[in-house]
Amino acid sequence: MRVLTRRRLAGVLGVLALLLGLALVFGLGVGPSGLAPGDVLRALFGHEGGPAADIVLRVRLPRVALAALVGASLSVAGVLFQALLRNALADPYVLGVSGGAALGGILVLGFGSALGLGYGAVPPAAFAGAVITTLLLFLVSGFQGRLSPTTLLLTGVVFNAFASAAIVFVASLAGLTEGASIFLWLIGNLSAARADVAGFVAAFLVLGLACALPLARRLDLLALGEESALQLGVDVERVRRVLLLATSLLVGAAVSVAGLVGFVGLIVPHLLRLVLGPDHRLLLPASALGGASFLVLCDTLARSLLPGRELPVGAITALAGGPLFLWLLRREQARRLAA
Amino acid sequence: MRRPAAPSRRLALAATLLLGLAARRAVAVPPARVVSLNPSLTAMVLALGARDRLVGVDDFSARQEPEVASLPRVGGLYNPSLEAVVALRPDLVLLVPSAEQRDFRERLAALGIRVLALDPLRFDEVLAALERVGEVLGRADAARARAGAERRALELARELTAGLPRPRVVLVLQRDPLYVAGGGSFIDEMIEAAGGRNLGAAFAEPYPRVAEEWLIAAAPERILDSSSEPGAARAFWSRWPSLPALTQHGVVVLPAGLVTLPGPWLDRALAALVRAIHGVELALPADDAPAPRAAPPPKAAP
Repeated sequence: MRVLTRRRLAGVLGVLALLLGLALVFGLGVGPSGLAPGDVLRALFGHEGGPAADIVLRVRLPRVALAALVGASLSVAGVLFQALLRNALADPYVLGVSGGAALGGILVLGFGSALGLGYGAVPPAAFAGAVITTLLLFLVSGFQGRLSPTTLLLTGVVFNAFASAAIVFVASLAGLTEGASIFLWLIGNLSAARADVAGFVAAFLVLGLACALPLARRLDLLALGEESALQLGVDVERVRRVLLLATSLLVGAAVSVAGLVGFVGLIVPHLLRLVLGPDHRLLLPASALGGASFLVLCDTLARSLLPGRELPVGAITALAGGPLFLWLLRREQARRLAA
Repeated sequence: MRRPAAPSRRLALAATLLLGLAARRAVAVPPARVVSLNPSLTAMVLALGARDRLVGVDDFSARQEPEVASLPRVGGLYNPSLEAVVALRPDLVLLVPSAEQRDFRERLAALGIRVLALDPLRFDEVLAALERVGEVLGRADAARARAGAERRALELARELTAGLPRPRVVLVLQRDPLYVAGGGSFIDEMIEAAGGRNLGAAFAEPYPRVAEEWLIAAAPERILDSSSEPGAARAFWSRWPSLPALTQHGVVVLPAGLVTLPGPWLDRALAALVRAIHGVELALPADDAPAPRAAPPPKAAP
């Protein structure tokens, strides 16, 4: 394993930031209305009105920003779950934590107006849903040892099935079934991107990262196993509580604006771990940047593949993530057999 | 292995005869217990003065039509309950054979309940559907009169707006995700007749989902917001200051269902469209149909 120097950290993060910059340019430059690059540049720097400015600054920019923030949040949450549960297959979507967050959000969407709650109450409710699901997850895992992939996946399947069923139930009760919004919420979608929610997701991302980054070294030790970590002086319980808070913040914010975007927390951390190794001091910020780039790319595809139409971005990430997930599952099994 | 052909053919013949007889009987005796699973069909029954025949409706109809709010509900557009329908012992079920209700029709038919499935899309098809409902309910004259009024309104609107400039129009069905009135539907025909150019006709589907980018690039001069979503329409569309529709009368809120339901009041829908697009009144001839419930006037966006 390579030693992490300041130089390497700066170099890797610099390259990833550059990639994110390219993804953002791609996201701002490409869309169903096929603006010429010159129009896009004029809209960005020209300070003049017109349809091009509206399209670039008031449709694409909020959307690209939100995709970046959601992608970063989900990827970092994926890294944290993988470290906490010491399982390569952990991811907020697979574990059902996203489902729990979505259920919280739907409860407010469906019944909030009766209680005088506005749209602003959706993210806190999603956050609460994420916290409760994560707590349940730890309860099931018994707060100890490494869950076998089978147990973990079964738990996730059950949580997801329960959350989906509850979402459909709530939506039917509240009369939300008419229109396609529930379907879009269930599959993950950024078309509702509003500039005013971006700041809020950014705040949650910064908070989540602020909780997680100082614990990066301890996450590395946690990978050795709980007892070894304890012997090496890691306050496992405290780390776990802080990271529970961090992951719930990240997932709650992401799901409240984008619904159930799947597999981002799986694809990005694994690709980066393959390239960069398992050091969390590097992996956490790298996943934030990589996740942001990945979701910006996916969302740009989602809104450009069929001109004038839109695919939900969750369909694109799931198409990419499903096969990768199966490959990881096979690899994990092979490793267990070898051990 | 082949099955012997003759008995099955005889069976089919017998079944056809029986069905034919049943159908003839049903036409002869107008149904007295009707369940409607679609708001536009419910509106037709009401417009033909047959409120007393209705014994059950879907949730959407109940929300849309105060007159039937007290009737038993049988579920939503997407999740009607077969048992609730059957329990009402209907002798006619009216429905639109959408993807969700297609199986439903077959199951009702298998239970021996008569189903009238209508799926009007073009303006003429709406009128034909109305007349068909009239025939089945024994109100053919009233239906013909109403359909005639709708057809006359279309012609009047065309005459009235013939010499006027044709503003670029987008009719919004739902804001998020964004759905607009596309090409090939009665809404498209009505917008054209009311003297507007329906920009959504660029899509062949009747109700396409479109990107916000598309709407901004299409630069509509009128946004007719029929989405009934909370939040002021003007504030919503003002997010994009380049929209030419953001003039004093460019954003118009149309009451949900007034223009978008393929029902018996397309003459009023046309009047609302002419008013929204050109700010002039379509003088509808006095109609001898049963007195309609006063339609709420379309309000200009705040």
